[in-house]
Amino acid sequence: MTTTSAPGAAPGAGRAARGPGASAVAVLRLQTTKRFETFGSPLVVLGTGLLATALVALVVWRATPAGSGTWVEVSRGLQLVLWWLVGYMGYNGVQSVATTFPLALTLGTTRAAFTAGTVAHHVLVSAHVTLVALALLGLEQLTDRWFTGVHLLDSRLLGDGDPVRLVAILFLSQLAALSLGGAFAAVWVRHGPRVTFASGVAVVLVLALVAALVVPGVADLAGAFRLWWLSVLAVAVIAVCALVQTLALRRAAVR
Amino acid sequence: MSTTPAAATGGPAVRVRGATRRFAGAPALDDVTFDVAEHSVCGLLGRNGAGKTTLMSLLAGHDRPDAGTVEVLGEQPFENARAAGASLLVRDDQRYPDDFHLAHVLRVGPLFHPAWDAALAAEVVERFRIPSKPQVKKFSRGQRSALGILLGLASRAPLTILDEPVLGLDATARGHFGELLVREVSEHPRTVVLSTHLVDEVERVLDRVLVLDHGRLVLDAGVDEARDRAHVVLGPAEAVESATAGLRALSSRRVGGFLELVLEGPAAPATARAARAAGLQVRPAGLQELVAALGAGDAEPPATPRPAPVPSATPAPGAPR
Repeated sequence: MTTTSAPGAAPGAGRAARGPGASAVAVLRLQTTKRFETFGSPLVVLGTGLLATALVALVVWRATPAGSGTWVEVSRGLQLVLWWLVGYMGYNGVQSVATTFPLALTLGTTRAAFTAGTVAHHVLVSAHVTLVALALLGLEQLTDRWFTGVHLLDSRLLGDGDPVRLVAILFLSQLAALSLGGAFAAVWVRHGPRVTFASGVAVVLVLALVAALVVPGVADLAGAFRLWWLSVLAVAVIAVCALVQTLALRRAAVR
Repeated sequence: MSTTPAAATGGPAVRVRGATRRFAGAPALDDVTFDVAEHSVCGLLGRNGAGKTTLMSLLAGHDRPDAGTVEVLGEQPFENARAAGASLLVRDDQRYPDDFHLAHVLRVGPLFHPAWDAALAAEVVERFRIPSKPQVKKFSRGQRSALGILLGLASRAPLTILDEPVLGLDATARGHFGELLVREVSEHPRTVVLSTHLVDEVERVLDRVLVLDHGRLVLDAGVDEARDRAHVVLGPAEAVESATAGLRALSSRRVGGFLELVLEGPAAPATARAARAAGLQVRPAGLQELVAALGAGDAEPPATPRPAPVPSATPAPGAPR
């Protein structure tokens, strides 16, 4: 059935106005509108991780003979902050796409602008936490390990006190976790839970296959290992995840 | 609100031609063609699964048709920044980010819609008593609808699309919605497309109605024109059958010895006089009754008071669906 309510009227080409919603900046501001969740919660995770490390070191100090130094080694080896932040950022990445995308479309934005704004949000959050951690590392070194000798951010996996390595490790690991979460959420939005689950299984299988191929030469690899390898790997993961998010959301419908 | 073609200042705001959308091979929309005049209020009616939300998704660029074309304000809407910035679709099951509160909604609205009216948003909050403390995901059904109304009205988006905006609202709030919508559209003209099952509640604010059934457009008419599409004859079954012999019935309902027929077209004066003389009720069909008669209404539409519990309505044999 065809009925024209404005007979003979041509569609007014170009009457649609370009709103700020079309820009990635508006999406970035949408993503950061929950200020505490965006900027406060990761710091709570960071602080809790540091506190937990200190408490474990305290327990070890009490449990070992005086002057053994074991507790210092334990605090240097604990990487609670890194794992907790990575876990939290994984969740953050998922919700930044899965529950924010429908509202962004409702408010009036394009998928391309949403993806760009979300990636910018991920970079911003990672940089924010990294800068705070860097400041804390400076404080840790200024206070001679918090006046006690305990190593919180000056730990092995976080660069042994090297600020450049700390920045690279923390920034890239968080950004990679946010990107992975965002990519899986984008696949979920586009294809639903079954394809997302299958994608997760596929990723695990690929990783297992790579591990099986690498294991025979692991000793040689370990000898030649350089930290920048991980940086390259993280950058590759981030790039692939951004691509997946872009491709998945490009045709995603909200239903 | 009356039909106001004069309000259409620059061609149709929405132009849909042969739009078809399938999900898993099943058509959710099937070759739908219509226009919506600029600055008009259009009601999208039909049963659950009729294709209303799918159609609104196409208009808002949230989805795109498998066949046919959709134009909004002169632009195809899918992944088009100009069209996206000019439209807003609030779904009946609208999702919000985790930990979202009313304050967040009020903060992000103006980012996307430059004409956002903060004073109007505050008025909606007050009138609908939208709470500020609980997370949006803990809102009641009515509170979520009120939040959607806030977004839709305060945005002043040139094309505002509301999916079941009054779902779960109490009678007072539904009254507020109608009043605010009429005021907004008259003071700040824009095109509004809204879907609802509560046809009688929103009939007065509509300029035009589109009725969908099984993905097909079965009625596209101005509200006044739609009212003339059918009339109702009610009374003792034998008398009704006798008075309406030869007339085309869109639907019938029999309760005990009583029969109610929804008949195509307006009642002819002579027929109406004869029917009334025989003690029958004759009246224009309401929009809800017409929608039901077209096979697109809820299974048990509101009906004239009758002496016994009302069984389900059945379309008359041969009635178009």
